[in-house]
Amino acid sequence: MRRSSLSLAIVAILLTVPMFYSGESTAQEAQTSGDEWDAWDEFDEFEKSEQISPFTWAGFGEIAVGQRINTDPALNTDKTLRDLRVQLQADYTLEASTLAFRGDLYYDGVLDSVKVQIREAAWQGNLAFLGDWGRRFDAKIGQQVLTWGTGDYVFLNDMFPKDYQSFFAGRDDEYLKAPSLSAKLSGFFDWVNVDLVVTPRFEPDNGITGEYFSFFNPQFGMNVAPAFDVLDSNEPDNAEWALRMYQTVGQTELAFYGYRGYNKTPMAADEQGLPRYSRLNVWGASAVKPLGPGLAKVEYAYHDSMEDDDGTNPLVPNSQHRFLVGYEQELVANLTGSVQWYAEHIVDHDVLLANSYWPQYEQEESRHVVTTQLMYRALRQTLTLNWFNFYSPTDSDGYMKFRATYSPVDEWQINGGANLFYGDEPHTFYSQFKDASNVYASFRYFY
Amino acid sequence: MKLTQFAKSTLAATILAVTSLTILTPAMAEVDVDQLIRQAEKAAYYAGSDGRSDARMMIVDSQGRKQLRQFTILRKDVEDNGDQKMMVFFSRPTDVKDTVFRVEKHADTNVDDDRWLYLPALDLVKRISAGDKRTSFVGSHFFYEDVSGRAVSQDDFSLVEENTERYVLKAVPKEPGSVEFAYYVVEIDKATSLPVLINFYKSDDTNYRRVESVQVNEVQGFPTVLRSKVSDLANGGYTLMEFRGSEYNVGLPDDVFTERSLRNPPVQWIK
Repeated sequence: MRRSSLSLAIVAILLTVPMFYSGESTAQEAQTSGDEWDAWDEFDEFEKSEQISPFTWAGFGEIAVGQRINTDPALNTDKTLRDLRVQLQADYTLEASTLAFRGDLYYDGVLDSVKVQIREAAWQGNLAFLGDWGRRFDAKIGQQVLTWGTGDYVFLNDMFPKDYQSFFAGRDDEYLKAPSLSAKLSGFFDWVNVDLVVTPRFEPDNGITGEYFSFFNPQFGMNVAPAFDVLDSNEPDNAEWALRMYQTVGQTELAFYGYRGYNKTPMAADEQGLPRYSRLNVWGASAVKPLGPGLAKVEYAYHDSMEDDDGTNPLVPNSQHRFLVGYEQELVANLTGSVQWYAEHIVDHDVLLANSYWPQYEQEESRHVVTTQLMYRALRQTLTLNWFNFYSPTDSDGYMKFRATYSPVDEWQINGGANLFYGDEPHTFYSQFKDASNVYASFRYFY
Repeated sequence: MKLTQFAKSTLAATILAVTSLTILTPAMAEVDVDQLIRQAEKAAYYAGSDGRSDARMMIVDSQGRKQLRQFTILRKDVEDNGDQKMMVFFSRPTDVKDTVFRVEKHADTNVDDDRWLYLPALDLVKRISAGDKRTSFVGSHFFYEDVSGRAVSQDDFSLVEENTERYVLKAVPKEPGSVEFAYYVVEIDKATSLPVLINFYKSDDTNYRRVESVQVNEVQGFPTVLRSKVSDLANGGYTLMEFRGSEYNVGLPDDVFTERSLRNPPVQWIK
């Protein structure tokens, strides 16, 4: 009796709904508050307001502030991040392809200049319109961000441009990857999938150039920070080619990589000692598979220094073997941990030392880095805490990143974090950036 | 007189009810619980051989703050009550727009689901390690498992009640340490075989969580939950989910469920 009257009440509320099956049946359910029905109504409003249009746009505004913890004698500012940024995303969906745009306009208060970065301006689609064979191919042409490989924050076969300045300053992770003007052709076949990327004009990394952070200069035996530019004549105009072939066998993902281009950072020098980019080819492979309760990965790359076959030229970096082994696992609900072991082994290291102008500052023959990450999601994923540490046992130095992101609503997000570099010696990879250690906070509003 | 008549008939009805209840008890034993839950699993998660649906979620936290999620789900069954492939293409809100979630669900509970996430801003395809399936699905009160389906082989079911409309079953996890509930009570609608109400309990019999279907329509002959709600009864807060544009047996090709679709979404299926 009680049951049927309650069912009736609910049915009455939902009378407009055709073919209503689930007459609710317990006393608790009848306590459904007025708020909930308001929410469904609001939900309906939200749907009605939606326009069915092939054009969509969105974006955000952001303010970000970062401050150096220590003073850097080589730089006269404690500012490490002062961004006032607007990002616009606009997409246009065609019959079987899309046009995408994503661009940032920002005032960089560290450099006191207004900048524009077009992160994406590309056409992407299937090539079926070229004939039946085209069905197996997708293309993406234009300004775009590209990523592949298996490492977290370490790159062996991913030779696409990166922005370490943004990474060190605490900008959002998306800015670690810099865009390039490229054409990507992807082919999908039964036995292998292939990606071929051509970047007609070499696009280097945005490395640490002394603009925001100083770096160790072996010539002076100390950190320097004159923002340097690579001379046009030392920057190649030629194309970069990147290839990936991949396939999944059972639950294991296998990939093979190739790259023909240049060192992404100007580690070589011309005869005047000015920085330049030297020729580089890369070959490698990776595998990822579930192992126990987690995921295991392994990656290898050979960085073949094309201008210094035998390692005798002190002006050109030697060839390297790069290795990565990693494991990731959810430790408890919402807490994921990962460990990576990464190694760079310099080929002909003894020859390098014999020919080097500054053998005392050269990298160890094998440089090892262990990374550990803990990522915790709390409050129904509205709060994310991410701790990432690079530690090199061979250099006795490291880099700890921490970031907290809180976003309890769709409209805004607040971030806070730190980038802390540590080490004993002034010249080693992470230790040289000790004075770059910083804390930062940012607020992003989505429109 | 009339009153006496009424009293008599009520008494008769009561007796009848009691009798029928006692009669029902042996009848209940004849209900094949295993068959029932497999039927429910099939109705809830394996309608047709494939399907597509536009989904919207409204997440309301205990303070009344609202978040929206909008996405398109594509699904293809490898076999009924078995393995499945799933793609979830997000279009709202802004910070998850164009993010894609790919799942290869394995019915064998000894094999973890394969999961990938595509983050468009980095062009990064991230394979995700197996996770606790009873954690929030994209920030909602739904768990990942509510969306992909909890394997019925993970619980022991027993029939606690049968009425004219529903079967009421109690489910006790075979591995209590792997889940946050002590047991749940699921009500299966007889007409549709769909689980329409699930209440989760702690060991002290506190009902702290509820998943319910609010609206069920027939789509191409398949009873389909178009509106559902999950409530956090302990802390307050709930999530409403609505499906629109649901279609079954649309003929989704296998190559839609690959890495290819993460980077280059199959526009014709998600429009």
